[in-house]
Amino acid sequence: MIVIIGSRHDSVARSIIAALPAAALCSAEDLTRPGWVWSVGSPEPNRWVVDGKVVDDPQVTGVLVRRTYVYPEELVGTHPDDREYLAAESTAFLIFVLSRTGSRVVNPVSDGALGEDVIRPERWMAAAVDLGVDVAPLRLKATGPIRAPKMTTTAEVVGDETFGDAPPHLRAAAAQLAAALGVVYAAFVFDRKQRLVALSANRLPSDAALAALGSLLSIRSRA
Amino acid sequence: MIVVWGALDDPPVSHVLNTLRTRGAEVLHLDRARVGALDFDVTLDREATGWIALDGKRIPLDTISAMYLRPEAQQGGRATSTTACLLAIASILDAVVVNRPAAGRSNLTKPFQLAAISDAGLTVPPTLVTTDPAAARQFVDRHGRVVYKSISGIRSIVATLDATDADRLSGVSTGPVQLQRWIEGIDVRVHVVGTQWFATAIECAATDYRYAGSADDKMAIIATDIDRELGDRLVRLAASMGLLVAGIDLRLTPDDEWFCFEVNPSPGFTFYEDATGQQIAAAVCDLLMNAGASERRTQRNLDSAPRSLIDS
Repeated sequence: MIVIIGSRHDSVARSIIAALPAAALCSAEDLTRPGWVWSVGSPEPNRWVVDGKVVDDPQVTGVLVRRTYVYPEELVGTHPDDREYLAAESTAFLIFVLSRTGSRVVNPVSDGALGEDVIRPERWMAAAVDLGVDVAPLRLKATGPIRAPKMTTTAEVVGDETFGDAPPHLRAAAAQLAAALGVVYAAFVFDRKQRLVALSANRLPSDAALAALGSLLSIRSRA
Repeated sequence: MIVVWGALDDPPVSHVLNTLRTRGAEVLHLDRARVGALDFDVTLDREATGWIALDGKRIPLDTISAMYLRPEAQQGGRATSTTACLLAIASILDAVVVNRPAAGRSNLTKPFQLAAISDAGLTVPPTLVTTDPAAARQFVDRHGRVVYKSISGIRSIVATLDATDADRLSGVSTGPVQLQRWIEGIDVRVHVVGTQWFATAIECAATDYRYAGSADDKMAIIATDIDRELGDRLVRLAASMGLLVAGIDLRLTPDDEWFCFEVNPSPGFTFYEDATGQQIAAAVCDLLMNAGASERRTQRNLDSAPRSLIDS
């Protein structure tokens, strides 16, 4: 089984599930359903709840993470007074589960962060510069608009494969940076000066990238 | 220039601020009101360059040698972008930062951090996180007495359960609950500051000494010592998480076994300092005023993220 961690309101998650026959959604609601068992220093076998069903961890081959937090508004079955607390607890629990599962997690938890927080700018910028990849500086000002850079090309990285319309040397740089960051899937966006502008794992993968992701997530091993 | 970010009525912030000023350090204090009034123009790539400004006075980032962070919860509006900018600066500035925002992030997910503590070779209590009432009951049956506490960084009062509470365990089915074997013994809080440590023993009958209230929960807080090997391991543990300052919670059992529960990245050390006279604030200020390039490098090699972590 491939587990997609996301919201049932996430259209990209739904598209991925439609394209990958082995995939099922693990939603915020699932995180508050009976059946989860995860431990530290204790012999209980680890268990998920996916799409309402209890699933033993060894049955899960891969996990695609499409959320950074669980939001209070998602927990409609919980009393409104408890939603904020339960959302924080569910987020913390999810990070723990993703760090302990024996399945391949895309993208793995990094220093206690999940989803897009794994590839936040101050992390990838430093790594990119260290690798000699040109980076478009990010300017933060208290006043005035922040101009979005004009983006021209994209390299999608899935494991050691690359896709997209970026030229080969930028695709190679993206793959090298992904490896340095421990990122298995992301889209790397470059501007017209061929400087790296943005990283995201949240967009809908191209058909080729999705096929590669499906293959990768079908094999149970850590990235 | 040393930036101290936090509320004046937060004792660790006021202690650090007063100590730095007494020593004649040049300090910029930022609290919620001042953060809202801050102006900035900052460029990020490998470094953070540019300036921040308060009351018309510009402070170039390359003049900031250290930062001490215990930021308050921010209000919305302009303060949100200013806070994000300050956290980004704290993440990558070539300075001593106590602590980098991402360094203590593991404390926002206690079982994740517990696994990291265990991986570092320290003994942790058997812990179960579950929404399964049957698994919870089995865990309680196996261990006899367990504690339950929050999973996230939201503070909770640690409480105990035993087999007589079996009916209550059906409540775990509505959301994940963390259960942990009860460990008998004396609480010891160890504050790691750089390569130093300060150990404080807390003798208290309450399950959670932080909330000891009744006369029966009389508490004694005593400066103590731990052996060098344990101290060195705790220094390494804090360093492995990118923390220059940490409050580590341990318990020493009657069989002289140490259990480690948690590493707090923004410890409220004044509670212990006031009771024992241990010079923790002074040590933190030593670090802020004197730390060299090696501390900065160690921190900068670790990942960073804009997230604040407070042990209030």
